[in-house]
Amino acid sequence: MSSEIACHGCDLLVNIGGLQDGESASCPRCGQFLTRYREDAFSRTLAYTIAAIILLILANSYSFLSFAANGLENAITLLETPAALWEYEVYSAAVIVAAFILAIPAAVLAMLLALCVPLSRGIYLPWLSSLAKGVFLSQNWAMVEVFIIGVIVSLVKIAEMADVSLGISFWAYAAFALCFTLAVSSLDRYQCWETLEDLERA
Amino acid sequence: MSRAAVSAASQGLVGCHVCCNLASSSQHRCPRCGSALHPRKNASLQRTLALLITACMLYVPANLYPIMYTDSFGSTEASTILGGVVLLIEMGELPIALIIFLFSVMVPSGKLMTLFYLVWSVERASGLDARQRSQMYRITEFIGKWSMVDVFVVAILAALVHLGGLLVVRPGVAAVSFSGVVIITMLAAETFDSRLIWDKEEENQRGS
Repeated sequence: MSSEIACHGCDLLVNIGGLQDGESASCPRCGQFLTRYREDAFSRTLAYTIAAIILLILANSYSFLSFAANGLENAITLLETPAALWEYEVYSAAVIVAAFILAIPAAVLAMLLALCVPLSRGIYLPWLSSLAKGVFLSQNWAMVEVFIIGVIVSLVKIAEMADVSLGISFWAYAAFALCFTLAVSSLDRYQCWETLEDLERA
Repeated sequence: MSRAAVSAASQGLVGCHVCCNLASSSQHRCPRCGSALHPRKNASLQRTLALLITACMLYVPANLYPIMYTDSFGSTEASTILGGVVLLIEMGELPIALIIFLFSVMVPSGKLMTLFYLVWSVERASGLDARQRSQMYRITEFIGKWSMVDVFVVAILAALVHLGGLLVVRPGVAAVSFSGVVIITMLAAETFDSRLIWDKEEENQRGS
């Protein structure tokens, strides 16, 4: 295993060999986080990924929020949030919102699942490296935790106008956001690629 | 620093930005993952600057035009981003007003200014301590997506507040320009190569 890497923050050559389970390394010059080694990284990521997938399905199956005033009531599902923008003909914003809160996170989870099932069992498949590339390129564009803050702000804004209640889907989405964040952060870029290379050679 | 810092570039090496592999700079594709290799991101400063200028232009309509309209009992009220903050303060919701002010006003403008400053500091090879500038860059990169909060709020309210002719919230054109600002500044942060800060630092040390 090669143990020298170039810090992507400042290009310093750093030797990161000999990390024990749970230890992490940062660049001594610029402070950039480099890697964290965990023996169970892949099964850990897999566990969070499966939990997040189940929660995402739940989050799309029930009502998300409901709103009542003067005897009228309106309940929405998660998917109706971007759909409303679409109906108001703000197409680009609708696509952006749908991508950031649903499509990209779902794609990342699908890729994580297909990547971590073989990796946690030590199996090499030729298409794993394209999946790994996909995961690391798209994960920054998932905004699930930002959306949760958005929901909370919206609730406060309209709390005075009407009765708002949180549906099952809201709680499912909040738990999904947590599992998603944990899944993405448990998969270490360096360890993932080193493992892929070792498995390919073996 | 006690020991001389050795950068990958000075050893004829390049680190793959996708898989962290160390390869020789003569290679154009990473032998491990097949991604294109660049010792430094291509035309990083020019591209970052171009994206920053685009974001600044979008920032004007994003703040001048309404981000949403509220129709209640036949009257329409338009609210801009800053107007929304003022409204929340009037409602007495200080913590939420602070969140919106932070994410929708401070973060986008702070990001633009920080990235302009970083580009300028690399061009001029001066400015703050390199480690501090690296830290500033990492914060900018991390915090970028949090500005989307306001756009999500508009999406949620437009979907939820829809009670016939009584009370309706509609999205405004600023929602589009504002998401443009957020996405383009995120791209600008991704295009900026923080290794350039350290290249200049090494040059300065060799010069002195």
